[in-house]
Amino acid sequence: MFIGGKLLKLVALLVSVYICASSALHAADDQARQVLVDLVLAEDDAATQASLDKLGELGDEVIGQFVAAWRVGQVFVDEKNGGPVVLMQVGEGKYENLLTGASAAMSADAKIDRASRKLRKDLRRIVDLLDLKSPDYKKRIAAADKLGKTQNEEYLPELRELAAKQTDKKVKRAFDEAVAISELKNGNEDQLLSAVIELGELRSFGARDYIESVYQDAQQADEKNTSLIKSCETSLRLIDERQKMLDFASTLFRGLSTGSVLLLVAYGLAITFGQMGVINMAHGEFIAIGGYTVYLVQNFFIANYGVDSDVYGWYFAVSLPAAFIVSALAGALLEKGLIQFLYKRPLESLLATWAVSMVMQQAFRLKFGAANVSVSTPEWLSGSYDFFGVLMSYNRLSLIVFAILVVVVTRLLLSKTSWGLHVRATMQNRQMASSLGVPSARVNMLTFAFGSGLAGLAGAFLSQIGNVGPSMGQTYIVDSFMVVVVGGVGNLIGAAISSLGIGMIDQGLQPLLGPVMGKITVLFLIIIFLQFKPGGLFPARSRSLDD
Amino acid sequence: MNNRLLPFDTIGEKIALAVLAIFVVIFPLMNTLFPADSALHITTFQLSVWGKYLCYAVLAISLNFLWGYTGLLCLGQCLFFALGGYAFGMYLMLMIGDLGAYGTSLPDFMVFLGYSELPVHWKPFYNPWFAVFAAMWVPGLVAFVFGMLAFRSRIKGVYFSILTQALTYAAALLFFRNDFTFGGNNGFTDFKFIFGHDIREASVSRALFWASGFLLIGVYYLIAYLLKSKFGLVQRAIRDSENRVRFSGYSTTHYKVFIFVVSAMIAGLAGALYVPQAGIINPSEMWPTKGLDIVVWVAVGGRGSKFGPIIGAVLINLLKSYTTRVYPESWLIILGLVFLLVVLFMPNGVVGLWDQVKAWIQSRKADPPATVEPQLAVENES
Repeated sequence: MFIGGKLLKLVALLVSVYICASSALHAADDQARQVLVDLVLAEDDAATQASLDKLGELGDEVIGQFVAAWRVGQVFVDEKNGGPVVLMQVGEGKYENLLTGASAAMSADAKIDRASRKLRKDLRRIVDLLDLKSPDYKKRIAAADKLGKTQNEEYLPELRELAAKQTDKKVKRAFDEAVAISELKNGNEDQLLSAVIELGELRSFGARDYIESVYQDAQQADEKNTSLIKSCETSLRLIDERQKMLDFASTLFRGLSTGSVLLLVAYGLAITFGQMGVINMAHGEFIAIGGYTVYLVQNFFIANYGVDSDVYGWYFAVSLPAAFIVSALAGALLEKGLIQFLYKRPLESLLATWAVSMVMQQAFRLKFGAANVSVSTPEWLSGSYDFFGVLMSYNRLSLIVFAILVVVVTRLLLSKTSWGLHVRATMQNRQMASSLGVPSARVNMLTFAFGSGLAGLAGAFLSQIGNVGPSMGQTYIVDSFMVVVVGGVGNLIGAAISSLGIGMIDQGLQPLLGPVMGKITVLFLIIIFLQFKPGGLFPARSRSLDD
Repeated sequence: MNNRLLPFDTIGEKIALAVLAIFVVIFPLMNTLFPADSALHITTFQLSVWGKYLCYAVLAISLNFLWGYTGLLCLGQCLFFALGGYAFGMYLMLMIGDLGAYGTSLPDFMVFLGYSELPVHWKPFYNPWFAVFAAMWVPGLVAFVFGMLAFRSRIKGVYFSILTQALTYAAALLFFRNDFTFGGNNGFTDFKFIFGHDIREASVSRALFWASGFLLIGVYYLIAYLLKSKFGLVQRAIRDSENRVRFSGYSTTHYKVFIFVVSAMIAGLAGALYVPQAGIINPSEMWPTKGLDIVVWVAVGGRGSKFGPIIGAVLINLLKSYTTRVYPESWLIILGLVFLLVVLFMPNGVVGLWDQVKAWIQSRKADPPATVEPQLAVENES
């Protein structure tokens, strides 16, 4: 194997100032490195075989890395005072000492070391099986899945052996699945039958195609194996049923999360429009304010702490209250400056706020550019949770939780605090409330600010699932009004129910009609719905004729 | 003065109308009578720009008829305008014939999308008069169905506005789709012939301008005539207090549906004349913000007045073409601020400014000072 070692000259070995993050040292790793060095420097077949056997027992990352490097000629041997040093190339012009994992410089005289064909083949097998023994259970699952699907006979004994050793339920399942899939091709008749049945019982989606091909073969075979055909059919049916269930469940989840988005964007409107009677066409721009606040807070964190710092991940938590406060202040300003003059003229409030929305949109464009700005997702919100096979992304889950929170908090504020009492009194009859001593001007301002703040919060959350741009609010404004009108103007619980309902219908229709047609259908359904219930789901009851 | 066939209120109105008529007749003549280097020469480009303004004015009148006189704020007037435009655009697309990029008798976008023959609903549009007719009845039909649905269940005020916006939004999404057979987001463009003439000829531009101008005058006359009639009285009564009108035994639903349909048909005609002059029609014409643009024209010009929408449409579009050229970035801010000022301080728009100033001067003279009341009663006033 190793032939050129004796010719190498002594070269100075410089230890670099920094140590690669990938070569974090621990005991098992050290052992693997030692074995690898032995392998490279082995003088005869017996020593090589001994090293290979040892390698098979270990499951370290460095092995895979090394084998990959060896295959492309990136392993070198440097003879140095005391003994040969094995170097591995880890990047453009960067080398590390294989034994210690520390960065090292290489002399011009170092020789490339190459593995023989047979050794390469042996190593390949070890690497393939490497991940099966990885301490990381996710890697083990992925490796079992991959090797099972190759249906390669060679891996079957190893897989079987390891499957018996797995203790974790999830991992065990993956291994069993892999064994069964492999047995579909490599097993004898009994094993084949039991594998088909087992895969059916496991509801293995990955195995569906393999069972299908077994089923096809069994049907075309001259000698019909009826029990095999039957169990194939059962297994396929079981898998398909589970698939349908999962599809339904994930549609439900998507509907719930779409509904939560609608709820968040529409809830502020349900307060300003439903409770106060102000048609705020600039509601969408308050959503955009929230989005841009997140962007600014993010930039602040980047500028002051850097992207890699631990603090950076918390920028989003800071930007939520910031988004609320900034949009609430903007809302208070708008109410004081404009809306308070228009309470008796709802159509004019629609027009005036539309003008405001135009100005604000253009202001965003001038300040932040016409293109969308990028907002990153903090680590604790990325990824997803696997709920019995339904993938729920964390940001959508948090959206749902947050929507519930908003509904509950708003409800409590309105029903338990004196401000809430004042709000309800003012909304029922502005003049009467103010003549009974309710400071209606202040109540109006606070209510409008609260509604706008909610819009800002919605925008902050939308920054995680959509784009932040000057016209981001426009996307939601029509939907928001629909939610409020369908729910029944003035009824917050109605708005919550209608947003969930619209979200569900929207997501339910999308697989059938596609996103755009689904949306159009929903809009037409709403128009038809209002024929039968012009006041929405929960119409406000009143004896006034012109309500 | 009370002649039913001359339904004009004041001498001023007659003079303004006469000025408008003279402008409509003379303006295109300045294109042909004066040589290109003369100061009085109007280029073909200017002709088509002003022709478009005239179409906008017709569109604004149609909204004013709904909003100013009936109290129905429709945010989807752009939909009817675009539908009319699409109807006539279909004729223009077919007239391209085999001069398109692909050299087939099918419109280019259909070849591009893999159609082998013309869809059935396109076939009648070889006939220009069918297209003009469709530019009226298609928007009319949409307005009829939607109006029936909305007014029967007594949807009114802001709910009507929001619903019309939703309808427009849904329609725009539909027209953005490629498989809707109307060219997707590119819409129709590259027109070649109209009524057998090359669309780029100066004489065609003049004819289109005249057509737009006469449409404007005709629509103005029609609206004025209706306002003078008993019908117009009921219409304004509905605006001021719908319930009282209903209690008096009028079916306000039927009145409103009729008004809505007429208004949509007028908007459709305006769209049909707009498209050959603009040279393009695409779904962005029916995007909800366009509907609000029209509302701005009417509000700035003065809603509930006969000349207001014309002035508003022309004024705002002149301002737009000026500011987008000189301050392209601030255009929306300027428009927003102008509109805000109008909504807050000029409830009757530019047309009502003179009366407002007079009232203000009088109130300064009178002792004690009286406040200026907005002259328009507003629905839902509590």
